[in-house]
Amino acid sequence: MRSVTSRNRNHAPRHPTRGLKGSRPGDGVARYYELYELLSGALNDGTILPGDALPSEPELVARHRLSRTTVRRALARLEEEGRIERRRGSGTFARESHEPTKLCLNLDCLHNDLLALASRTSVALLRFETQSVPAAITELQPQVGARALVIQRVRLFRGAPFQLSTAYVPENVGKLIRKRMLRHASLLSVLDEVGPKTTSAEHITGAVAADATAAKRLDVSLGTPLLRMRIAFRDRKASLRAFCESYFRPDRFHIRAAMERTTARRAKEPWRFRGS
Amino acid sequence: MAATTNTRTGVTRYLQVYTVLAQALADGSIPAGEALPSEPTLVRNYGVSRTTVRRALARLAAEGSIVRRRGSGTFARGKLERFSSARHLAPLLCELRTQSSRIDVKVLTFERLPTPHRLRRQWPDFGETVLTIRRVGSVRGEPIGLSTTYVPEWAGRELTLRRLGGDPILIALQKLGHRAASGEQETTALAADPLVARHLSAGIGAPLLSVRRLIRDAKGRILEYSNFLFRPDRYELAAVTERGSQRSRAD
Repeated sequence: MRSVTSRNRNHAPRHPTRGLKGSRPGDGVARYYELYELLSGALNDGTILPGDALPSEPELVARHRLSRTTVRRALARLEEEGRIERRRGSGTFARESHEPTKLCLNLDCLHNDLLALASRTSVALLRFETQSVPAAITELQPQVGARALVIQRVRLFRGAPFQLSTAYVPENVGKLIRKRMLRHASLLSVLDEVGPKTTSAEHITGAVAADATAAKRLDVSLGTPLLRMRIAFRDRKASLRAFCESYFRPDRFHIRAAMERTTARRAKEPWRFRGS
Repeated sequence: MAATTNTRTGVTRYLQVYTVLAQALADGSIPAGEALPSEPTLVRNYGVSRTTVRRALARLAAEGSIVRRRGSGTFARGKLERFSSARHLAPLLCELRTQSSRIDVKVLTFERLPTPHRLRRQWPDFGETVLTIRRVGSVRGEPIGLSTTYVPEWAGRELTLRRLGGDPILIALQKLGHRAASGEQETTALAADPLVARHLSAGIGAPLLSVRRLIRDAKGRILEYSNFLFRPDRYELAAVTERGSQRSRAD
Protein backbone atom coordinates (compact mmCIF):
# COMPACT_ATOMS: atom_id res chain seq x y z
CA MET A 1 0.00 0.00 0.00
CA ARG A 2 1.50 3.23 -1.16
CA SER A 3 0.12 5.28 1.67
CA VAL A 4 2.02 3.17 4.14
CA THR A 5 5.34 3.43 2.45
CA SER A 6 5.23 6.75 0.65
CA ARG A 7 6.88 9.68 2.23
CA ASN A 8 5.84 13.22 1.67
CA ARG A 9 9.07 15.07 1.25
CA ASN A 10 7.55 18.26 2.71
CA HIS A 11 6.85 16.66 6.02
CA ALA A 12 8.87 14.85 8.58
CA PRO A 13 7.82 11.20 8.97
CA ARG A 14 4.39 11.29 10.52
CA HIS A 15 3.91 7.68 11.30
CA PRO A 16 6.33 5.59 13.30
CA THR A 17 6.01 2.66 10.91
CA ARG A 18 6.95 4.62 7.81
CA GLY A 19 10.16 4.12 5.92
CA LEU A 20 12.25 1.05 5.40
CA LYS A 21 12.60 -0.17 8.94
CA GLY A 22 10.31 -3.10 8.24
CA SER A 23 13.04 -5.03 6.50
CA ARG A 24 15.59 -7.20 8.17
CA PRO A 25 18.60 -8.90 6.69
CA GLY A 26 17.68 -12.31 5.38
CA ASP A 27 13.99 -11.61 4.90
CA GLY A 28 14.33 -12.28 1.20
CA VAL A 29 13.99 -8.77 -0.16
CA ALA A 30 16.94 -6.85 -1.52
CA ARG A 31 17.59 -3.59 0.34
CA TYR A 32 18.00 -1.60 -2.84
CA TYR A 33 14.63 -2.82 -4.03
CA GLU A 34 12.82 -1.48 -0.99
CA LEU A 35 14.19 1.98 -1.60
CA TYR A 36 13.42 1.61 -5.30
CA GLU A 37 9.84 0.68 -4.48
CA LEU A 38 9.45 3.54 -2.05
CA LEU A 39 10.70 6.11 -4.55
CA SER A 40 8.79 4.47 -7.35
CA GLY A 41 5.60 4.75 -5.31
CA ALA A 42 6.30 8.41 -4.58
CA LEU A 43 6.81 9.06 -8.30
CA ASN A 44 3.64 7.15 -9.21
CA ASP A 45 1.32 8.74 -6.71
CA GLY A 46 2.56 12.29 -7.23
CA THR A 47 4.31 12.71 -3.89
CA ILE A 48 7.25 13.64 -6.10
CA LEU A 49 5.96 15.55 -9.13
CA PRO A 50 7.65 15.74 -12.55
CA GLY A 51 10.42 18.32 -12.41
CA ASP A 52 10.79 18.01 -8.63
CA ALA A 53 14.15 17.19 -7.12
CA LEU A 54 14.54 13.86 -5.32
CA PRO A 55 16.28 13.82 -1.96
CA SER A 56 20.07 13.82 -2.41
CA GLU A 57 22.11 10.63 -2.10
CA PRO A 58 23.54 11.54 1.33
CA GLU A 59 20.01 12.36 2.52
CA LEU A 60 18.71 8.99 1.38
CA VAL A 61 21.68 7.24 2.97
CA ALA A 62 21.06 8.95 6.29
CA ARG A 63 17.28 8.70 6.27
CA HIS A 64 17.06 5.01 5.44
CA ARG A 65 20.35 3.88 6.96
CA LEU A 66 21.51 2.37 3.71
CA SER A 67 24.90 2.25 2.07
CA ARG A 68 25.68 4.66 -0.72
CA THR A 69 26.00 1.69 -3.12
CA THR A 70 22.46 0.55 -2.27
CA VAL A 71 21.05 4.06 -2.79
CA ARG A 72 22.87 4.36 -6.12
CA ARG A 73 21.52 1.04 -7.27
CA ALA A 74 17.94 2.09 -6.57
CA LEU A 75 18.46 5.41 -8.38
CA ALA A 76 20.20 3.68 -11.29
CA ARG A 77 17.19 1.48 -11.82
CA LEU A 78 14.78 4.42 -11.83
CA GLU A 79 17.05 6.15 -14.30
CA GLU A 80 17.15 3.06 -16.52
CA GLU A 81 13.36 3.10 -16.52
CA GLY A 82 13.44 6.70 -17.68
CA ARG A 83 11.60 7.96 -14.64
CA ILE A 84 14.29 10.18 -13.18
CA GLU A 85 17.04 12.28 -14.64
CA ARG A 86 20.40 12.87 -12.96
CA ARG A 87 21.91 16.23 -13.74
CA ARG A 88 25.54 16.52 -12.81
CA GLY A 89 26.09 19.11 -10.14
CA SER A 90 22.45 19.91 -9.54
CA GLY A 91 20.85 16.63 -8.43
CA THR A 92 18.23 14.09 -9.42
CA PHE A 93 14.85 15.07 -10.84
CA ALA A 94 11.56 13.35 -11.59
CA ARG A 95 10.72 13.08 -15.28
CA GLU A 96 7.31 13.24 -16.92
CA SER A 97 5.68 9.88 -16.32
CA HIS A 98 4.96 7.54 -19.20
CA GLU A 99 2.22 5.42 -17.75
CA PRO A 100 1.62 2.28 -19.77
CA THR A 101 -1.89 1.89 -21.09
CA LYS A 102 -3.81 -0.41 -18.83
CA LEU A 103 -6.71 -2.52 -19.88
CA CYS A 104 -9.80 -2.35 -17.74
CA LEU A 105 -12.78 -4.57 -17.11
CA ASN A 106 -15.91 -2.87 -15.79
CA LEU A 107 -18.00 -5.16 -13.64
CA ASP A 108 -21.10 -3.02 -14.16
CA CYS A 109 -21.05 -3.94 -17.85
CA LEU A 110 -19.08 -7.15 -17.65
CA HIS A 111 -20.59 -8.96 -20.62
CA ASN A 112 -20.11 -6.06 -23.02
CA ASP A 113 -16.62 -5.45 -21.69
CA LEU A 114 -15.59 -9.07 -22.18
CA LEU A 115 -16.68 -8.82 -25.81
CA ALA A 116 -14.94 -5.46 -26.25
CA LEU A 117 -11.75 -6.78 -24.66
CA ALA A 118 -11.68 -9.65 -27.16
CA SER A 119 -11.98 -7.28 -30.09
CA ARG A 120 -9.14 -5.04 -28.86
CA THR A 121 -6.71 -7.86 -28.13
CA SER A 122 -5.27 -10.96 -29.78
CA VAL A 123 -5.30 -14.50 -28.50
CA ALA A 124 -3.15 -17.64 -28.69
CA LEU A 125 -4.73 -21.05 -28.14
CA LEU A 126 -2.63 -23.27 -25.87
CA ARG A 127 -4.97 -26.18 -25.16
CA PHE A 128 -8.16 -27.45 -26.70
CA GLU A 129 -9.10 -30.94 -25.59
CA THR A 130 -11.75 -32.90 -23.77
CA GLN A 131 -10.27 -34.34 -20.63
CA SER A 132 -10.95 -35.15 -17.00
CA VAL A 133 -11.46 -32.10 -14.79
CA PRO A 134 -9.07 -31.48 -11.87
CA ALA A 135 -10.70 -32.22 -8.51
CA ALA A 136 -10.11 -28.65 -7.33
CA ILE A 137 -12.30 -27.34 -10.17
CA THR A 138 -15.17 -29.82 -9.70
CA GLU A 139 -15.12 -28.95 -6.03
CA LEU A 140 -15.62 -25.27 -6.86
CA GLN A 141 -18.16 -25.89 -9.59
CA PRO A 142 -19.66 -29.42 -9.54
CA GLN A 143 -21.80 -28.70 -12.63
CA VAL A 144 -18.65 -28.78 -14.78
CA GLY A 145 -18.77 -32.58 -14.52
CA ALA A 146 -16.02 -35.18 -14.44
CA ARG A 147 -14.95 -34.55 -18.05
CA ALA A 148 -15.03 -31.25 -19.90
CA LEU A 149 -13.66 -29.40 -22.88
CA VAL A 150 -10.63 -27.53 -21.58
CA ILE A 151 -9.72 -24.37 -23.45
CA GLN A 152 -6.56 -22.62 -22.39
CA ARG A 153 -5.64 -19.35 -24.02
CA VAL A 154 -3.30 -16.47 -23.48
CA ARG A 155 -4.48 -12.99 -24.43
CA LEU A 156 -2.15 -10.29 -25.65
CA PHE A 157 -2.50 -6.55 -25.91
CA ARG A 158 -0.12 -4.88 -28.36
CA GLY A 159 1.86 -8.10 -28.47
CA ALA A 160 2.30 -8.38 -24.69
CA PRO A 161 0.48 -11.09 -22.69
CA PHE A 162 -1.89 -9.92 -19.96
CA GLN A 163 -4.32 -12.80 -19.39
CA LEU A 164 -4.00 -16.56 -19.08
CA SER A 165 -7.42 -18.20 -19.06
CA THR A 166 -8.51 -21.80 -18.65
CA ALA A 167 -12.14 -22.50 -19.43
CA TYR A 168 -13.91 -25.73 -18.48
CA VAL A 169 -16.91 -26.27 -20.74
CA PRO A 170 -19.34 -29.07 -19.79
CA GLU A 171 -19.15 -31.89 -22.36
CA ASN A 172 -22.64 -31.37 -23.78
CA VAL A 173 -21.80 -27.75 -24.61
CA GLY A 174 -18.16 -28.43 -25.45
CA LYS A 175 -18.94 -30.94 -28.19
CA LEU A 176 -20.50 -28.13 -30.25
CA ILE A 177 -17.41 -25.91 -30.10
CA ARG A 178 -14.84 -26.07 -32.90
CA LYS A 179 -11.28 -24.94 -32.56
CA ARG A 180 -11.53 -22.39 -35.38
CA MET A 181 -14.36 -20.54 -33.59
CA LEU A 182 -11.88 -19.58 -30.89
CA ARG A 183 -9.32 -17.99 -33.15
CA HIS A 184 -10.35 -14.42 -32.32
CA ALA A 185 -13.69 -14.45 -30.55
CA SER A 186 -14.33 -14.21 -26.84
CA LEU A 187 -15.46 -17.35 -25.07
CA LEU A 188 -18.75 -15.60 -24.37
CA SER A 189 -19.60 -15.06 -28.04
CA VAL A 190 -18.60 -18.64 -28.91
CA LEU A 191 -20.89 -19.94 -26.16
CA ASP A 192 -23.73 -17.80 -27.52
CA GLU A 193 -23.07 -19.08 -31.03
CA VAL A 194 -23.56 -22.73 -30.08
CA GLY A 195 -26.52 -22.58 -27.74
CA PRO A 196 -28.74 -20.69 -25.34
CA LYS A 197 -27.51 -17.24 -24.50
CA THR A 198 -25.44 -16.72 -21.37
CA THR A 199 -27.45 -14.45 -19.12
CA SER A 200 -25.53 -14.26 -15.88
CA ALA A 201 -21.99 -14.39 -14.60
CA GLU A 202 -21.03 -15.15 -11.02
CA HIS A 203 -17.54 -13.93 -10.39
CA ILE A 204 -15.05 -14.20 -7.59
CA THR A 205 -11.93 -12.08 -7.64
CA GLY A 206 -8.78 -12.84 -5.68
CA ALA A 207 -5.02 -12.76 -5.95
CA VAL A 208 -2.41 -15.52 -6.38
CA ALA A 209 1.32 -15.90 -6.81
CA ALA A 210 2.30 -16.87 -10.37
CA ASP A 211 3.20 -20.56 -10.56
CA ALA A 212 5.66 -21.90 -13.17
CA THR A 213 3.02 -22.12 -15.95
CA ALA A 214 1.48 -18.70 -15.32
CA ALA A 215 4.93 -17.12 -14.97
CA LYS A 216 6.02 -18.54 -18.31
CA ARG A 217 2.84 -17.68 -20.22
CA LEU A 218 2.48 -14.19 -18.81
CA ASP A 219 6.19 -13.43 -18.97
CA VAL A 220 6.59 -12.60 -15.28
CA SER A 221 8.86 -14.00 -12.58
CA LEU A 222 7.80 -16.89 -10.45
CA GLY A 223 5.72 -15.72 -7.51
CA THR A 224 4.63 -12.40 -9.05
CA PRO A 225 1.20 -11.37 -7.71
CA LEU A 226 -1.55 -11.91 -10.26
CA LEU A 227 -5.22 -11.04 -10.21
CA ARG A 228 -7.40 -14.14 -10.40
CA MET A 229 -10.98 -14.06 -11.60
CA ARG A 230 -13.20 -17.12 -11.64
CA ILE A 231 -16.44 -16.77 -13.55
CA ALA A 232 -19.35 -19.18 -13.82
CA PHE A 233 -21.40 -18.34 -16.92
CA ARG A 234 -25.02 -19.49 -16.82
CA ASP A 235 -28.00 -19.39 -19.12
CA ARG A 236 -31.55 -18.30 -18.28
CA LYS A 237 -32.32 -21.71 -16.77
CA ALA A 238 -29.24 -21.43 -14.53
CA SER A 239 -27.44 -24.23 -16.39
CA LEU A 240 -23.69 -23.84 -16.43
CA ARG A 241 -22.34 -22.80 -19.84
CA ALA A 242 -18.70 -22.62 -18.75
CA PHE A 243 -16.48 -22.10 -15.76
CA CYS A 244 -13.52 -19.92 -16.53
CA GLU A 245 -10.44 -19.23 -14.43
CA SER A 246 -8.29 -16.30 -15.52
CA TYR A 247 -4.99 -14.90 -14.29
CA PHE A 248 -4.26 -11.28 -15.11
CA ARG A 249 -1.07 -9.27 -14.92
CA PRO A 250 -1.95 -6.42 -12.54
CA ASP A 251 0.46 -4.03 -14.27
CA ARG A 252 -1.48 -4.38 -17.53
CA PHE A 253 -5.02 -4.93 -16.35
CA HIS A 254 -7.38 -3.96 -13.58
CA ILE A 255 -11.01 -4.32 -12.62
CA ARG A 256 -13.36 -1.45 -11.98
CA ALA A 257 -16.93 -1.15 -10.78
CA ALA A 258 -19.29 1.79 -10.56
CA MET A 259 -21.91 1.37 -7.89
CA GLU A 260 -24.89 3.11 -6.44
CA ARG A 261 -26.92 2.72 -3.36
CA THR A 262 -30.46 1.50 -3.69
CA THR A 263 -33.15 3.86 -2.53
CA ALA A 264 -35.24 0.90 -1.36
CA ARG A 265 -35.61 1.04 2.41
CA ARG A 266 -35.09 -2.52 3.45
CA ALA A 267 -32.84 -3.86 0.71
CA LYS A 268 -30.85 -6.94 1.70
CA GLU A 269 -27.85 -5.65 -0.17
CA PRO A 270 -27.79 -1.84 -0.16
CA TRP A 271 -25.37 -1.55 -3.09
CA ARG A 272 -25.75 -2.49 -6.74
CA PHE A 273 -23.90 -1.84 -9.96
CA ARG A 274 -24.68 1.50 -11.55
CA GLY A 275 -27.34 1.40 -14.20
CA SER A 276 -29.29 -1.50 -12.76
CA MET B 1 25.93 -19.00 -0.75
CA ALA B 2 23.79 -15.92 -0.94
CA ALA B 3 20.53 -16.34 -2.80
CA THR B 4 20.34 -14.63 -6.14
CA THR B 5 17.89 -11.81 -6.49
CA ASN B 6 15.53 -11.53 -9.37
CA THR B 7 16.19 -8.05 -10.65
CA ARG B 8 12.63 -7.58 -11.80
CA THR B 9 10.90 -8.05 -8.49
CA GLY B 10 13.66 -7.57 -5.93
CA VAL B 11 12.47 -10.72 -4.18
CA THR B 12 15.13 -13.40 -3.85
CA ARG B 13 14.60 -16.51 -5.93
CA TYR B 14 14.34 -18.78 -2.93
CA LEU B 15 11.47 -16.64 -1.61
CA GLN B 16 9.71 -16.84 -4.98
CA VAL B 17 9.96 -20.64 -4.99
CA TYR B 18 8.85 -20.72 -1.36
CA THR B 19 5.81 -18.48 -2.07
CA VAL B 20 4.63 -20.66 -4.96
CA LEU B 21 5.08 -23.96 -3.10
CA ALA B 22 3.48 -22.59 0.08
CA GLN B 23 0.49 -21.50 -2.00
CA ALA B 24 0.18 -24.92 -3.68
CA LEU B 25 0.28 -26.59 -0.25
CA ALA B 26 -2.20 -24.14 1.24
CA ASP B 27 -4.81 -24.30 -1.52
CA GLY B 28 -4.65 -28.07 -1.83
CA SER B 29 -3.00 -28.19 -5.29
CA ILE B 30 -0.55 -30.50 -3.54
CA PRO B 31 -2.86 -32.47 -1.22
CA ALA B 32 -1.80 -33.69 2.21
CA GLY B 33 0.29 -36.85 2.04
CA GLU B 34 1.20 -36.36 -1.59
CA ALA B 35 4.83 -36.20 -2.70
CA LEU B 36 6.24 -32.90 -3.89
CA PRO B 37 8.09 -32.88 -7.20
CA SER B 38 11.70 -34.02 -6.75
CA GLU B 39 14.49 -31.49 -6.31
CA PRO B 40 15.77 -31.94 -9.89
CA THR B 41 12.20 -31.44 -11.20
CA LEU B 42 11.79 -28.25 -9.18
CA VAL B 43 15.15 -27.03 -10.43
CA ARG B 44 13.97 -27.59 -14.00
CA ASN B 45 10.44 -26.21 -13.54
CA TYR B 46 11.50 -23.01 -11.87
CA GLY B 47 14.82 -22.47 -13.60
CA VAL B 48 16.68 -22.00 -10.32
CA SER B 49 19.69 -23.62 -8.69
CA ARG B 50 19.54 -26.67 -6.46
CA THR B 51 20.67 -24.52 -3.53
CA THR B 52 17.69 -22.23 -4.06
CA VAL B 53 15.26 -25.14 -4.14
CA ARG B 54 16.79 -26.60 -1.00
CA ARG B 55 16.52 -23.31 0.83
CA ALA B 56 12.82 -23.00 -0.04
CA LEU B 57 12.16 -26.61 1.03
CA ALA B 58 14.12 -26.09 4.24
CA ARG B 59 11.87 -23.19 5.16
CA LEU B 60 8.70 -25.16 4.38
CA ALA B 61 10.04 -28.04 6.48
CA ALA B 62 10.89 -25.68 9.34
CA GLU B 63 7.35 -24.31 9.22
CA GLY B 64 5.94 -27.82 9.30
CA SER B 65 4.25 -27.69 5.89
CA ILE B 66 6.27 -30.58 4.49
CA VAL B 67 8.13 -33.61 5.80
CA ARG B 68 11.27 -34.93 4.18
CA ARG B 69 11.79 -38.66 4.37
CA ARG B 70 15.24 -39.81 3.60
CA GLY B 71 15.33 -41.97 0.51
CA SER B 72 11.69 -41.53 -0.42
CA GLY B 73 11.25 -37.79 -0.95
CA THR B 74 9.34 -34.78 0.33
CA PHE B 75 5.68 -34.94 1.30
CA ALA B 76 2.92 -32.47 2.05
CA ARG B 77 1.72 -32.57 5.61
CA GLY B 78 -1.89 -32.14 6.62
CA LYS B 79 -3.26 -28.64 6.25
CA LEU B 80 -2.17 -26.50 9.12
CA GLU B 81 -4.59 -24.51 11.22
CA ARG B 82 -3.55 -21.26 9.61
CA PHE B 83 -4.46 -22.57 6.19
CA SER B 84 -7.73 -24.18 7.13
CA SER B 85 -9.50 -20.95 8.05
CA ALA B 86 -12.54 -20.45 5.89
CA ARG B 87 -12.32 -17.93 3.14
CA HIS B 88 -14.59 -14.94 3.51
CA LEU B 89 -16.49 -13.58 0.60
CA ALA B 90 -16.91 -9.86 0.48
CA PRO B 91 -20.07 -8.39 -0.98
CA LEU B 92 -19.82 -6.01 -3.91
CA LEU B 93 -18.80 -3.09 -1.78
CA CYS B 94 -16.02 -4.48 0.31
CA GLU B 95 -15.80 -3.83 4.01
CA LEU B 96 -13.61 -5.13 6.75
CA ARG B 97 -16.69 -6.06 8.62
CA THR B 98 -19.74 -7.76 7.19
CA GLN B 99 -22.99 -8.74 8.79
CA SER B 100 -22.49 -12.42 8.12
CA SER B 101 -19.07 -12.83 9.65
CA ARG B 102 -17.60 -11.57 12.86
CA ILE B 103 -14.50 -9.67 12.07
CA ASP B 104 -12.60 -8.01 14.90
CA VAL B 105 -11.28 -4.61 13.96
CA LYS B 106 -8.19 -3.06 15.50
CA VAL B 107 -7.40 0.60 14.93
CA LEU B 108 -3.77 1.39 14.06
CA THR B 109 -4.18 5.05 13.15
CA PHE B 110 -6.95 7.58 13.84
CA GLU B 111 -5.52 10.97 13.12
CA ARG B 112 -6.14 14.22 11.25
CA LEU B 113 -3.19 14.44 8.86
CA PRO B 114 -2.19 16.45 5.79
CA THR B 115 -3.97 15.04 2.72
CA PRO B 116 -1.67 12.75 0.71
CA HIS B 117 -0.56 14.57 -2.41
CA ARG B 118 -1.93 12.01 -4.85
CA LEU B 119 -5.42 12.35 -3.36
CA ARG B 120 -5.39 16.13 -3.60
CA ARG B 121 -4.12 16.00 -7.13
CA GLN B 122 -6.85 13.66 -8.27
CA TRP B 123 -9.66 15.11 -6.19
CA PRO B 124 -8.89 18.70 -5.11
CA ASP B 125 -12.06 18.83 -2.98
CA PHE B 126 -10.34 16.70 -0.35
CA GLY B 127 -8.86 19.85 1.18
CA GLU B 128 -5.72 20.33 3.25
CA THR B 129 -6.24 17.74 5.94
CA VAL B 130 -8.09 14.45 6.15
CA LEU B 131 -9.11 12.15 8.93
CA THR B 132 -6.86 9.12 8.34
CA ILE B 133 -8.02 5.81 9.73
CA ARG B 134 -5.99 2.65 9.39
CA ARG B 135 -7.43 -0.62 10.68
CA VAL B 136 -6.70 -4.32 10.60
CA GLY B 137 -9.54 -6.81 10.49
CA SER B 138 -9.09 -10.31 11.91
CA VAL B 139 -11.11 -13.43 12.55
CA ARG B 140 -10.07 -15.46 15.58
CA GLY B 141 -6.85 -13.52 15.85
CA GLU B 142 -5.81 -14.17 12.26
CA PRO B 143 -5.60 -11.01 10.09
CA ILE B 144 -7.74 -10.79 6.98
CA GLY B 145 -7.18 -7.29 5.67
CA LEU B 146 -5.73 -3.85 6.26
CA SER B 147 -7.67 -0.73 5.37
CA THR B 148 -6.68 2.90 5.13
CA THR B 149 -9.54 5.38 4.88
CA TYR B 150 -9.40 9.11 4.25
CA VAL B 151 -12.42 11.19 5.31
CA PRO B 152 -12.59 14.88 4.35
CA GLU B 153 -12.72 17.34 7.25
CA TRP B 154 -16.35 18.38 6.78
CA ALA B 155 -17.58 14.79 6.94
CA GLY B 156 -15.22 13.52 9.61
CA ARG B 157 -15.35 16.47 12.01
CA GLU B 158 -17.65 14.81 14.51
CA LEU B 159 -16.19 11.35 14.11
CA THR B 160 -14.30 10.16 17.16
CA LEU B 161 -12.54 6.90 17.84
CA ARG B 162 -15.30 6.02 20.26
CA ARG B 163 -18.12 6.80 17.83
CA LEU B 164 -16.41 4.75 15.15
CA GLY B 165 -16.07 1.67 17.36
CA GLY B 166 -15.83 -1.39 15.14
CA ASP B 167 -18.33 -0.08 12.58
CA PRO B 168 -17.62 0.08 8.87
CA ILE B 169 -16.73 3.70 8.03
CA LEU B 170 -19.87 4.18 5.95
CA ILE B 171 -22.11 3.09 8.81
CA ALA B 172 -20.30 5.41 11.21
CA LEU B 173 -20.68 8.31 8.75
CA GLN B 174 -24.34 7.52 8.23
CA LYS B 175 -24.94 7.73 11.97
CA LEU B 176 -23.58 11.28 11.74
CA GLY B 177 -26.03 12.05 8.94
CA HIS B 178 -23.68 11.58 5.98
CA ARG B 179 -25.30 9.05 3.69
CA ALA B 180 -23.38 7.36 0.87
CA ALA B 181 -25.04 7.39 -2.54
CA SER B 182 -22.52 6.23 -5.16
CA GLY B 183 -19.10 4.72 -5.43
CA GLU B 184 -16.33 3.58 -7.71
CA GLN B 185 -14.14 0.62 -6.91
CA GLU B 186 -10.91 -0.55 -8.48
CA THR B 187 -9.38 -3.97 -7.92
CA THR B 188 -5.85 -5.18 -8.53
CA ALA B 189 -3.15 -7.44 -7.06
CA LEU B 190 0.14 -6.45 -5.51
CA ALA B 191 3.02 -7.81 -3.45
CA ALA B 192 3.11 -7.36 0.32
CA ASP B 193 5.82 -4.93 1.36
CA PRO B 194 7.57 -5.60 4.70
CA LEU B 195 5.24 -3.37 6.74
CA VAL B 196 1.99 -4.67 5.31
CA ALA B 197 3.35 -8.23 5.53
CA ARG B 198 3.87 -7.76 9.23
CA HIS B 199 0.38 -6.35 9.85
CA LEU B 200 -1.25 -9.17 7.90
CA SER B 201 1.06 -11.98 9.08
CA ALA B 202 1.82 -12.66 5.42
CA GLY B 203 5.15 -13.27 3.74
CA ILE B 204 7.03 -10.39 2.19
CA GLY B 205 6.23 -10.41 -1.53
CA ALA B 206 3.12 -12.55 -0.97
CA PRO B 207 0.23 -11.67 -3.30
CA LEU B 208 -2.46 -9.39 -1.87
CA LEU B 209 -5.81 -8.32 -3.26
CA SER B 210 -5.92 -4.54 -3.45
CA VAL B 211 -9.23 -2.67 -3.57
CA ARG B 212 -9.48 1.12 -3.75
CA ARG B 213 -12.78 2.89 -3.65
CA LEU B 214 -14.21 6.38 -3.63
CA ILE B 215 -17.61 7.06 -2.10
CA ARG B 216 -19.80 10.13 -2.70
CA ASP B 217 -23.03 11.36 -1.16
CA ALA B 218 -26.20 12.27 -3.05
CA LYS B 219 -24.87 15.78 -3.73
CA GLY B 220 -21.76 14.28 -5.33
CA ARG B 221 -19.46 15.29 -2.47
CA ILE B 222 -16.65 12.91 -1.55
CA LEU B 223 -17.45 11.08 1.68
CA GLU B 224 -14.38 8.88 1.85
CA TYR B 225 -11.60 7.16 -0.04
CA SER B 226 -10.48 3.73 1.13
CA ASN B 227 -7.62 1.48 0.28
CA PHE B 228 -8.04 -2.18 1.29
CA LEU B 229 -5.38 -4.86 1.20
CA PHE B 230 -6.68 -8.38 1.70
CA ARG B 231 -4.94 -11.67 2.22
CA PRO B 232 -6.25 -13.63 -0.76
CA ASP B 233 -6.24 -16.92 1.14
CA ARG B 234 -8.79 -15.37 3.48
CA TYR B 235 -10.82 -12.89 1.49
CA GLU B 236 -12.18 -12.61 -2.03
CA LEU B 237 -14.68 -10.36 -3.77
CA ALA B 238 -17.85 -11.88 -5.13
CA ALA B 239 -20.67 -10.58 -7.32
CA VAL B 240 -23.18 -11.57 -9.95
CA THR B 241 -23.60 -9.65 -13.17
CA GLU B 242 -26.80 -10.11 -15.16
CA ARG B 243 -26.77 -9.56 -18.87
CA GLY B 244 -29.24 -7.83 -21.09
CA SER B 245 -30.29 -4.18 -20.95
CA GLN B 246 -27.13 -3.73 -18.88
CA ARG B 247 -28.88 -4.93 -15.78
CA SER B 248 -26.69 -6.15 -13.00
CA ARG B 249 -26.92 -6.70 -9.32
CA ALA B 250 -24.69 -7.39 -6.42
CA ASP B 251 -25.12 -10.64 -4.63
